Amino acid sequence: MNEVIEWQGYLGMFDENALMMQSPYIHNDVLVFGADSDYTTMAIAGLHLLSSRGIMISEIRSLPLVNPSAVKSATGVTVLCGEEEEACDWNLLVGEEATLVFTNDLERDLGFHGPSELESLDSTFYSDMQAAWEKELSSTHVSQGAYVSEAAYMEGADARLGFMAQSHDHALVWPPRQMDGDGKRLQQANSPLLASAVVESWTKLSAAGAPSEFALRAPVLGGIQTVFVRFEQGPCGVFLVADDEQYEPSIGDQVTFVVRRIYAQEGLIRYGMKAIPASN
Amino acid sequence: MFLEYRVEPTASTHDFNRANQMLRAFGYGMVDVAVIGAGQTKYGNHPSGLKGMWAEAAEQAFASVDQNFEPRHVDEAFIGSVAFGGGQLGNTAALLTEHSGLEGIPVRRVENACASSGFALRDAWMAIKSGQADVVVAGGIEKMNDLSAERRRFWLGVSGDTEWERLAGLTFPGTYALMARRHFHEYDSTHDDLVNISVKNHMHGFENEMAHIRKQVSFEKAQSGFMVADPLTLYDCCPTSDGASAVILAADHVVRQFTDDPVWLRSSGAGSDYLALHDRPSITQVKATQQASSAAYKAAGITAADVDLAEVHDCFTIAELMATEDLGFAERGQGGVFAREQRGVRNQGDVCINPSGGLKSKGHPLGATGTGQAVEVFKQLRGSVEDARQVRDAEIGITHNVGGSGATCAVHVFGRDR
Repeated sequence: MNEVIEWQGYLGMFDENALMMQSPYIHNDVLVFGADSDYTTMAIAGLHLLSSRGIMISEIRSLPLVNPSAVKSATGVTVLCGEEEEACDWNLLVGEEATLVFTNDLERDLGFHGPSELESLDSTFYSDMQAAWEKELSSTHVSQGAYVSEAAYMEGADARLGFMAQSHDHALVWPPRQMDGDGKRLQQANSPLLASAVVESWTKLSAAGAPSEFALRAPVLGGIQTVFVRFEQGPCGVFLVADDEQYEPSIGDQVTFVVRRIYAQEGLIRYGMKAIPASN
Repeated sequence: MFLEYRVEPTASTHDFNRANQMLRAFGYGMVDVAVIGAGQTKYGNHPSGLKGMWAEAAEQAFASVDQNFEPRHVDEAFIGSVAFGGGQLGNTAALLTEHSGLEGIPVRRVENACASSGFALRDAWMAIKSGQADVVVAGGIEKMNDLSAERRRFWLGVSGDTEWERLAGLTFPGTYALMARRHFHEYDSTHDDLVNISVKNHMHGFENEMAHIRKQVSFEKAQSGFMVADPLTLYDCCPTSDGASAVILAADHVVRQFTDDPVWLRSSGAGSDYLALHDRPSITQVKATQQASSAAYKAAGITAADVDLAEVHDCFTIAELMATEDLGFAERGQGGVFAREQRGVRNQGDVCINPSGGLKSKGHPLGATGTGQAVEVFKQLRGSVEDARQVRDAEIGITHNVGGSGATCAVHVFGRDR
């Protein structure tokens, strides 16, 4: 019987080198994603889990249900989604329900034993959240949200999804900056920032007070929570709390970070790090 | 944090001051600047559009000049506006001035978020100081209540850090809530101190005919308001207001053509800070305010203790609490105690903070707020406000106008004497 690993808000199960990731949520006997998750965020979590076990992957072949650029920024792994014929040892198999399998041996029969109990999502919550995302992603929906263009989003993607920081004057700078006080350009962000921080302040915005890009989902969630944190290596940042977390922050809490959906605009999902308690 | 702060008077203000001292030593000097007129619309849900509101404010300002004033006397105009809603995003100033008899003069829109007209006032002051103009109009305008709720929520967030703060769910209620909770954690301050500020500003604004929200609020009611961004409630947040304001500045050598009762604009200080909270060394103080006030006090030759009244940028009650520290009215960390001890109450405390009711009660039409504060100080120093809210024996007043969560700030010192 394999171990069930709670990992970045998902469940992971190993069969030798193969890994199955699944959502911890169920609705009408079907595994479903939580409020701000999808195949991309779960694939990123799975690659992080594999990496933590010493299984390093540089390329993986997948159906086009994951966002390759988000995975690349968050993990450094190249996702091949096309008809390319290049040799690729690893495959990402996308399940019909909220499951993924990472394997480097398609011939072998895999066997995973999932958890005996899963968290059942409230029907109203689930359907309202689905409807909100569907509307947000539809081409006819014109969001009045913050306009972070695709170019601006991609420019900051490595810092946003992979916590890549700049090394400057023996300290780490994050989020990246352009020039220093001497008028010199800072280096590219290529130093990883450890995903460990302490909450220095926090707030919960009511649904009515939430920015317009969250206007569809904030009422379903009962508001949105944001933490102001200081990383162990010095820089500070602000992050949403992952939407599935039943967590009210306190100053002094240790938190870590997971990749989740932030919001969608012009059909493009913006992914980013969200905070979860470090105990998770 | 990676770049160190330089909390010093800004170079430009410093240079003006030094140059002026040198010139005076040789019998010359830069001109002094006076306010000769000031006016504004009532803040709130205004029935007019941009052109009508601006004309109303300009008309009030022109009419407040004691003698011989005509629009043709104006050499230049600076109008602050965020252009909320995007209705007249480009060439706002050209459109507005042509509707107030000012067509043909150099004009421009000044944009620095909620500090837009504070910086318009600074630009106007500098235009006269430099000798380029003798009579200048500084004003501001915003129309905020003619948008759908969703469009308004978008525009309310455009002046914060879009790429990082906004994508973390933050607009200004959120950023100021983070500052408030941290201040409570670091110092002897509580939400009840913010409640005291709210009650005070509603009390001050109750008598102000130009105020958006003219109602007194009990401590208990303000304490139990609807939570907007924990720990900030509805009673900690200013309203979104329509409004326009205008002041007329004149060089000392032409002042007597227009009035024998000028208010002198003794100095202008300004500063800036990182746009996003996470880049600042501390989120419980606003360095831009410290820079701006330090420069303005120094140039005017005063200290905080000399100030009789202050129009302070209380977009949220925590902003006023922190400003009382950054402006020097309270020691670091003692802003809560200052509010608790009612030291900012009119004719009762050390200094009257927000005699107009502040942004909380008078209202906050973003681009109009800075010069609207100047309208209040002008009238207070001339003794021309409603009797019930006159600050007694007021000689020196300041305005404190902040952009965003503290990325920009302008502080001006006004006096009965030069």
